[in-house]
Amino acid sequence: MTSSQTHTLEHRKSQTAPRRLSDGQFAVLLLLPGVALLAGVVLYPLVAALVTAFFEQSLVLPGRTFVGLQNIVDVLQGDFLRLLRQTLVFTLGTTILPFVIGFALALALNTRIRGAKVLRGLMLIPWLVPGVVVSFLWMWIFNANYGVMNALLQGLGLVDDPQAWLAQPGTAMGAVILAKTWQSFPWMMVMLLAGLQTVPIELHEAAEMDGAGTVRRFFAITLPHLKGIVGLVLLLEFIWNFQHFDIIYVLTGGGPAGATQTFATAVYETAFQGYDLGKAGALGLLWMVLLMALVVVYVRFSEKGEER
Amino acid sequence: MSATTQLPAAPTPPSASSPADDAPRPPQRLRRGALRSERPGVRFAAWATVVVCGGFGLLPVYWLLATSLTPRDQVFSYPPKFFPSAPTLDAFAALASNDQLFGYLRNSVIVSVITAVLSVLVSAYMGYSFSKFRYRGRRSLMYLVLASQMFPQALLLVTLYSVFSAYGLLNTYTALVLSFTTFTLPLCVWMLKGFFDTIPDELIEAARVDGASRLRIIHSIVLPLAAPGLIAAGLFAFVRGWNDFVFALTLAGPEKQTLPPGLVNTFIGEASTAWPELMAASLVVSLPVAIAFIALQKYLVGGLTAGAVKG
Repeated sequence: MTSSQTHTLEHRKSQTAPRRLSDGQFAVLLLLPGVALLAGVVLYPLVAALVTAFFEQSLVLPGRTFVGLQNIVDVLQGDFLRLLRQTLVFTLGTTILPFVIGFALALALNTRIRGAKVLRGLMLIPWLVPGVVVSFLWMWIFNANYGVMNALLQGLGLVDDPQAWLAQPGTAMGAVILAKTWQSFPWMMVMLLAGLQTVPIELHEAAEMDGAGTVRRFFAITLPHLKGIVGLVLLLEFIWNFQHFDIIYVLTGGGPAGATQTFATAVYETAFQGYDLGKAGALGLLWMVLLMALVVVYVRFSEKGEER
Repeated sequence: MSATTQLPAAPTPPSASSPADDAPRPPQRLRRGALRSERPGVRFAAWATVVVCGGFGLLPVYWLLATSLTPRDQVFSYPPKFFPSAPTLDAFAALASNDQLFGYLRNSVIVSVITAVLSVLVSAYMGYSFSKFRYRGRRSLMYLVLASQMFPQALLLVTLYSVFSAYGLLNTYTALVLSFTTFTLPLCVWMLKGFFDTIPDELIEAARVDGASRLRIIHSIVLPLAAPGLIAAGLFAFVRGWNDFVFALTLAGPEKQTLPPGLVNTFIGEASTAWPELMAASLVVSLPVAIAFIALQKYLVGGLTAGAVKG
């Protein structure tokens, strides 16, 4: 294809004015609007935010002073470890739980049970509603006084008294994870269903003739076939949840007493409620370094797994 | 991402119209064999999973609907009634007479529609450049576009706020549209590149020989052929703008705020939240997304996985 394009290019060049754009220049020109947006809205703000980590700077006052590593030291000496722990609990919880539910549903709906197609469609609803709606709904479900969660659990005899799920440090994180899980599992289900549909049925039949049971076939045939897509959905979900903001912020605002604060809500709060851009930048810097490290470790790990 | 290389290209989307449950459709004889092989234990496990996980997925949806139809005074009783005894549309009527909410709605529509149009234009040019031209750094740039969604938006906002403030763009539609358009690029560019890849080069060559300019080729030949892709990308971008919370919350004041932060400001934090109205509003906000998805579902899974598979 390249050669035929070059050919046409030369052909054109011979008959048109020399100041016309070359194909390469034209291709770059097409990129410009997108590149400008990415540079202005992602690249520059990212670099600038990381640079503020080394300055004392306020959101509302002009000017800044260089303070070296002071912000980073402050953050590390503050409640950084707690933030890290809570972010990991949230991220792992909202990655593993939707994966388990989504995988179970994908396997169940990949059988020939009646109504599977309708259910596949209906199950997508939680994924389709906007994040704030997810928050509103679960805020109502977890409501301390009139919430249906309390009624349900009391009816089943699992709790004695109504609980303020979102206002107790011990239960708030679990409640937030459950709400986010509800939003995420349909996507997992869709991706895994798409993966399941590529597993050749003949393999299963041959294995069955050889006497392999359902469980054995799952581990010997289904799972190896899905390795690629499983690794992918887990990685993407992890990256997304590591930076998730909306549901936590609306449901608890990071509270009670900071029990559901993650890097995302902490950076936001530090910048827009504490006006401390330097500290927000320092938090962000550590956050990005951690994310990169985790992703690199993960990719290495999964590559090694593939070589085996 | 070598972890995904073994994935076959573009799995069939599990849409209602897709004819087969298993993509490489085996002959009828083999399918029947598979059907017989589903043992009672497997069927029971499948049903149990559907009941438990399906209940987790759908009971909250039911609760959203039920609450929106419950009279306001009945909501504040414990234990709650699982079936509203006197269903009413009062909550929806109350929404319809709330002018403030209509203001948020207008902002949401304006921002999302402009985002959709701009995003389609920008990603079409970019995707076409990636698809039909070869130059140094092309592949690196493609992955850079894809990777741009890895960076946390709460962190970008820290300096974006100051940038938009410096250019006098706070509390404008422009700030929101520029931000949302950028965040749709990774998916839209990769999706449209996939569509353009399927357009034969011979077609473009033929138009060139006939003397069409390169821009003319894009606008009169390539874009019309990729119309389904453009619609899918546009709907995706619309939904991205429609669903956003944190950017609209931070960059837009009360005048320019969209529905998600608008609803939070209207309903949350009051002494007694008007739950039926909030649930009714939630339904109304979710509706355009649901409609967009139904229109989009043929491309959505393909587009999502296509980017992933090639990555």
